[in-house]
Amino acid sequence: MTTSPSSSAGLAVRKPNLGLRVVGIVVALAALVFFPIVVPNTYYIHLAETIMIYAILLFGLDIVVGYTGQVSLGHAGLFGIGAYTAGVLAQSGSGMVGASTIWAFGLPIYGTLIVAIAVTAAFGAILALPALRVTGPYLAMVTLAFGTIIQILINEMDFLTAGPLGLKVAKPTLFGHKFDERDYYWLVAAILVIALVVVHRILKSHLGRAFEALRDSPVASDCMGVSVYRYKVYAFVISAGFAGLAGALYTYSEQYISPNTYNFELTVLFLLAIIMGGRKTRTGAILGSLIVVLLPKMLDDITTFRYVATGLAVIVAVGAGITLARGMTTAKRIAIPVIGTVGLAIFSFSLRSVTDWRLTIFGLMILLVVYYLQDGIVGFVRGLFNLGRKASVSVDTTEAEAASHGDALVTTSSDDSKVILDVRGALMQFGGLKALNNVDLSVMSGSIHGLIGPNGSGKSTMMNVLTGIYTPTAGTITYGGREIGGQAPAQIALSGIARTFQNVQLFGEMTALENVLVGLHHTFNANLAEVGLQMPRAKREEAAARERAFSLLQFVGLAYAANEEARNLPYGKQRLLEIARALALDPKLLLLDEPAAGLTAPDIKELVAIIHKIRGHGITVILIEHHMDVVMTVCQTVSVLDFGQKIAEGKPAEIQANEKVIEAYLGGEIGADVAHEAGVH
Amino acid sequence: MILLQLIYSGIALGMIYAVIAFGYQLTFATSGTLNFGQGEALMLGAMVGLTLVNMGVNYWLMIPLVCIFGFIQGGFVERIGVRPAIKIKSEFGWIMSTIALGIIFKNVAENVWGRDDLRFPGPLPESPINLFGANVLPMELLVIGGAIVMMLAIEFFNRKSIYGKAVVATSNDRDAAGLMGINTGLVITFSYALSSLTAAFAGVLIAPLTLTGATMGAVLGLKAFAVAIIGGLSSGMGVIVGGVILGIAETTTGFYISTGYKDVPGLVLLLLVLAVKPAGLFGKTAIKKV
Repeated sequence: MTTSPSSSAGLAVRKPNLGLRVVGIVVALAALVFFPIVVPNTYYIHLAETIMIYAILLFGLDIVVGYTGQVSLGHAGLFGIGAYTAGVLAQSGSGMVGASTIWAFGLPIYGTLIVAIAVTAAFGAILALPALRVTGPYLAMVTLAFGTIIQILINEMDFLTAGPLGLKVAKPTLFGHKFDERDYYWLVAAILVIALVVVHRILKSHLGRAFEALRDSPVASDCMGVSVYRYKVYAFVISAGFAGLAGALYTYSEQYISPNTYNFELTVLFLLAIIMGGRKTRTGAILGSLIVVLLPKMLDDITTFRYVATGLAVIVAVGAGITLARGMTTAKRIAIPVIGTVGLAIFSFSLRSVTDWRLTIFGLMILLVVYYLQDGIVGFVRGLFNLGRKASVSVDTTEAEAASHGDALVTTSSDDSKVILDVRGALMQFGGLKALNNVDLSVMSGSIHGLIGPNGSGKSTMMNVLTGIYTPTAGTITYGGREIGGQAPAQIALSGIARTFQNVQLFGEMTALENVLVGLHHTFNANLAEVGLQMPRAKREEAAARERAFSLLQFVGLAYAANEEARNLPYGKQRLLEIARALALDPKLLLLDEPAAGLTAPDIKELVAIIHKIRGHGITVILIEHHMDVVMTVCQTVSVLDFGQKIAEGKPAEIQANEKVIEAYLGGEIGADVAHEAGVH
Repeated sequence: MILLQLIYSGIALGMIYAVIAFGYQLTFATSGTLNFGQGEALMLGAMVGLTLVNMGVNYWLMIPLVCIFGFIQGGFVERIGVRPAIKIKSEFGWIMSTIALGIIFKNVAENVWGRDDLRFPGPLPESPINLFGANVLPMELLVIGGAIVMMLAIEFFNRKSIYGKAVVATSNDRDAAGLMGINTGLVITFSYALSSLTAAFAGVLIAPLTLTGATMGAVLGLKAFAVAIIGGLSSGMGVIVGGVILGIAETTTGFYISTGYKDVPGLVLLLLVLAVKPAGLFGKTAIKKV
């Protein structure tokens, strides 16, 4: 295996207009550094600080909301935990509000920041516990309950937090130097840049892919050895860590914290920011935080509000005009936002004060974003200018082909006389229904074992039992001499059983290459720190995995579609991609659940060739299929299920002549007749 | 006898939670969505009721009017907040939009009725009745009775009338019900309307016992959700039991520990139930098909 990143099968990461990007980054950094010099007004410096702090929190929130696709209404609570951890630890015990009741730790800022991150991350793990069992609206409510509890605790635990009185914290002192507003701004800016780089690296690594995968298909993630359980906890913990960091920075920025800040409104504000800015982008998080911080300031003043409302109406009207002219939408669809914003502009002139109506405007903005800006501003702009994902993996095919002279598959030693999988008396009961009734199944190592039967006979149930998705009611499953019944799906997957799904379970929003990379998750050993710092091991593993993933795509003939999002592939190709992804696990046993369903005749031919090649590498295959010609040509042994029971087993030719099998497929009398005729013939 | 008294008021409070939780069940059954602004529906009901009472409308006459208001408000939420979000298949669009509508309702209420808590004149005498040796307010008995009557009425409607059967059919299988000619969209709107109706009704029941204000709904809505989860989103009996457990836990915590902590047991119970048995104490665990 090549270790040098430059020769990694021509898989260069293509960044369009690299020069332009560098210029953009330099300009942005310069603007960040020189802002407090150009604008010396402390009010504006403080505002910029708040924007950056929110942006740090939003980077973390995006991991949960954008990548794992869960709604969290608990991030204001986490933000509060970070803020109070820093606030309490920073107390030096002299002259503070309620100082007599506070322990004087007097920790310096580097200490408080680290402890705040650790404490908040721990709370993130607690928050993740119920999140493991529930999703969607349940999770939203649970996180909301969590946030509410945190706010109550901050309010009531006045021996630690001084309760509703709040805590005063001075700007930090470091190495004898007392920070002023501008110094602190630079500190926050530096941390923002570090946070941005770290979060970006995490999300582009195998960890980020795992988060995204469990959103698109939890079942498939588990069966690729990416434990949904574990990675959801990771996502919440990392996300909470960022929230804690932001909270701690916020404490020093505001110099006064009180429980009322960390309320429901703030949590909704964070969600609005991430959705409005654009999920799964760092630019979106920064943009979102810019808007949610600046907008309330603008709304404080009725004159500014009138300008903003009028400006918004004009922008929406022009935007609607452009999209309409390009035929991207219909007049009916855009009528409501145009009328709404114009109405808002008119409404703004009839108001005398806007502060009282702040929340209503805020609510209207959420509705607007939910209906018309689902992909956020960043997503909208990209859609408008047809920009794809900004860094895609380009593939130089000729170079890649030259590099992959070997084969993508790891050849396993197979002993043809040994049993690799042994199922004894498997019973799977759903209420009164026995989907599997005392089934025995022995699969010889290195063989292709067919599993057929009419619809509803229990074939897919068998697959689910073998891969741990169902825990069998009774019976034993021995794989490679070890009992695996009752193990978690991810554990079973990692021990070498890979599968495909009857109803395709790809990670739709990820590219074909990324799908296979999720299958290769087990090849990564780099931890969070190594990924964040881009240590050699992380880089090496990523390069190796990409090379491997590409050659797996070549193996199934999908190399040309490496950068295509999986959901855009035609159905037949999706099935092949599932096989490539399953092979990435380096399985000893591969379960194919109706791989030929919905395939055209030439595709089926290709599939049969691929199955033969897989077997050539010593991988045992269990094949569920309704295309009898496929089953009869590739399988050495065929087992037949009917109503949850095994009714026959043997060589393909024996099965074809078995009367019980024919009866199961065609029904009693007629079956007998057909069999008879066939016999005569 | 303080404990018995706490239990009485706990039961009354719990029945309010049960009614709101019942409302969550109605919409969840038909559409798989919930109104995150359910607490605000309750608050609006109480506010409209208070306005009517102040205008000189009799309390008993006011209740049906408030119910009509709640019915319309619920339909509005579904049409504006839920239906478009479901149509664009946005994953959590409806969560955000019902939250947004809740925020707007709260803010409008603050601007219309002010930010201060108001007293709601009760229709019954304020002198407590002695029941098994402990005092109970007549209004508390009314709350318990009213809540049970409301839930029975809706259950009866669903089981006996042809329209109710459409609701039940939609709950069981929305697609199949649609194919059988049931206007499932209308059924969902109806379930939202019904759900807000129960919330508004709960609002005028509880208002004379507590203070009425724009912020009264949020915590009630959240705790009613806890009740819906504890009892199970599919069990009518569950919400009553869950509501009563939570109500008593709360009044006793408030008395024996601190009123500041009275919201905590419910929320902790919610987290625990979800961590241990997500289908709720009375719900059936669904088998997920792959």
